[in-house]
Amino acid sequence: MIKKLSFVSILMLGWALPAPATADVRVFACEPEWAALAQEIGGDKVSTYSATHEKQDAHHVRARPSLIAKIRRADLVICAGAGLEVGWLPLLMQRGARSNVRPGKPGHLMAAQHVPVREIPTVIDRSLGDIHPEGNPHVHLDPRNLTLLARELSKRLSVIDSQNSALYSRNLKSFENRWEMHMKKWNIRAAKLKNMPVVVHHKSWSYLIGWLGLKEVGSLEAKPGIPPTVSHLNRLLKTVSAAKAKAILRTPFDQSDPSNWLANKTNIPALVLPFTVSRNAKPGALKKLFDDILAQLEKANGRP
Amino acid sequence: MTLRYMRAAAAIAVPVLLASTPLYAADKQELSRILSEIKTLKKAYEGRIATLENKIKSLEQKKAVAGKKVTPASGGRAIKDNSFNPSLGIILNGRAGSFSQDGSEIAGFGVGEEGERGREGLAIDESEINFSANVDDKFYASSTVAIVREEGEDKVELEEAYIQTLPDAGLPDGLRLKAGRAFWTLGYLNEHHAHGDDFADRPLPYRVYLNKSFNDDGIEVSYVVPADMFIEFGGGIFRGDDFPAGDSVSGFGAWSAYARVGGDIGDNQSWRLGAYTLHSDVNSRATNEGAVTFVGKSNLYAADLRYSWAPTGNARNQELIFQTEFFHRSEDGTYNDTGAGTGAVNFDDGSQGWYAQAVYKFAPAWRVGARYSQLLAADTPAGLAESALDSAGHDPYTMSVMADWTNSEFGRIRVQYNREELSDGRDDNQFILQYVMSIGAHAAHAF
Repeated sequence: MIKKLSFVSILMLGWALPAPATADVRVFACEPEWAALAQEIGGDKVSTYSATHEKQDAHHVRARPSLIAKIRRADLVICAGAGLEVGWLPLLMQRGARSNVRPGKPGHLMAAQHVPVREIPTVIDRSLGDIHPEGNPHVHLDPRNLTLLARELSKRLSVIDSQNSALYSRNLKSFENRWEMHMKKWNIRAAKLKNMPVVVHHKSWSYLIGWLGLKEVGSLEAKPGIPPTVSHLNRLLKTVSAAKAKAILRTPFDQSDPSNWLANKTNIPALVLPFTVSRNAKPGALKKLFDDILAQLEKANGRP
Repeated sequence: MTLRYMRAAAAIAVPVLLASTPLYAADKQELSRILSEIKTLKKAYEGRIATLENKIKSLEQKKAVAGKKVTPASGGRAIKDNSFNPSLGIILNGRAGSFSQDGSEIAGFGVGEEGERGREGLAIDESEINFSANVDDKFYASSTVAIVREEGEDKVELEEAYIQTLPDAGLPDGLRLKAGRAFWTLGYLNEHHAHGDDFADRPLPYRVYLNKSFNDDGIEVSYVVPADMFIEFGGGIFRGDDFPAGDSVSGFGAWSAYARVGGDIGDNQSWRLGAYTLHSDVNSRATNEGAVTFVGKSNLYAADLRYSWAPTGNARNQELIFQTEFFHRSEDGTYNDTGAGTGAVNFDDGSQGWYAQAVYKFAPAWRVGARYSQLLAADTPAGLAESALDSAGHDPYTMSVMADWTNSEFGRIRVQYNREELSDGRDDNQFILQYVMSIGAHAAHAF
């Protein structure tokens, strides 16, 4: 009862003493998923900008003048990290960033530093392809990681914009509740997909595969970042049929020819799974991303 | 405490409830009350457990992350990055060239050593060795040494050796200071190392106005305006030893200023437009292998435009780049061509040069490009007639086409054909086969 009262009185206090109007926290996201997550936690107190769009491979982006302008005014820079943006983010930071988004500051948030990272290589050599010494950076396709990042975002936003910290905690709470609900449903669906054998184009799906418990039985790229070769595809042809692969997964920005070729030869469906949300995603887009991915996988898994 | 109590209560209540059977109707009401109480208890209990489980999970995950930071799974060495050692990068490039003309003088212009046509036959170009690293939280430093073949000897040239402030240096946001020797901000290509160029040679205005590139000793400040659009301006003061200046006495012989803007059009197109100026007090500038000397003032004005379009947003797969630069140089001083024995001749005039190029990447590894570049020579003063500075009314031009194959970000092989008419009536057909490879660290190229 007392608790209830105090809760109400806090609410009323918050209502009676509106915070003075301040400028939005400007969030510079390297990829759309982080912009969408920042929007979930920041609500109307943040304005987000995504440096890339859903059809773009974040490995290979140019340090365009427009990005320098955007990072110049950013209060928070949120990226996958683990070397994904190594080709352009350091240059942007050097050219335009303010000191409050430098590494080590609350305004500098690299997702891979806050989640368990997969595939940290033990041997590093360029002849092995474009490998990330820090591990696989595509962490956002495990929804559990989004919870971790949502919490970190709420913390960071509360430091950067302490006036609205109550709001950020509330938004986090509400996001966590919703997300937990979705996760329950997804986990039930995931149980039916467990051990589904899949072929991937690039190591883009490792976190999804890890979360759902799928079985990766082949990769179209013999080495990460090196385009698939005919000889490698011919070798794959035998192994994937033997492994009874159910689907060949690629992102909208991977080349289509290799997976289509393999699909024609083996009759395994080639799926183009959405890799992230759209650049100016509406609230709820992150949930829809996982719904869509699961639906496509379920359909492929249901085929005889 | 509460949790333990609830767990005990639930543990007792549930089996008791299951064991007992509803014997009396009067008990029904009581029973439903107990049931609902148990339900409440169960709910609270589950909620608590879930919270605790979540807490444990997040702690475990945190622990996993923290653990990874210290020791990788393999027990091998954790190579996070190389930030405590300077990044080391080496660029190797070589070529085979075939030219139809013996000489390649650019009529009407004094041309420096590096502005000349490359060597015929088999040769290696500049081999660059670059070291770079953050000095501390406030400074970044980079040094590039090039080993070049000049006059039959391998010479070491210090191309760049500069320090630059980082955003933490305490300067106002957006302000950056660069000091030392560097490829200064002037036009598009000057800031870039030649190994990143889209063609095997620099266009004519770069050859005659900048001796390939301007990398004097000096200091430059730049400021990025906090605005939605990219707006940057800046300027520098330089020693005045490097072409187009030369042999400075004061040590403050040149200064520059620039402004540029840029942005995106939609999702997949970008552009940048700039205006630049470089003013030099030329104490003495020798060109044409020492035969021609200029003394006086040299003012260079430049404008550049770069536009890129990646149809799918992925420049790695498919991209069109259009780039053009325009230069105007006005000089007031004296020219002396000892080769032609002109003596010091007064010169107060201007000339122009420009180029435009388009490069199209049609497959991830393949690009084709075309370039046209031209100079518009000044009128020849009577005293310079028949000298190297006599254009004889001819405007030098070069037409180029190229195709290159990029196996990875680190290696490229290119073929190029040039048709040059640098002096009146002297057509030069050039074939160049070139490779550019880099090993070690390689800083990202700017837009």
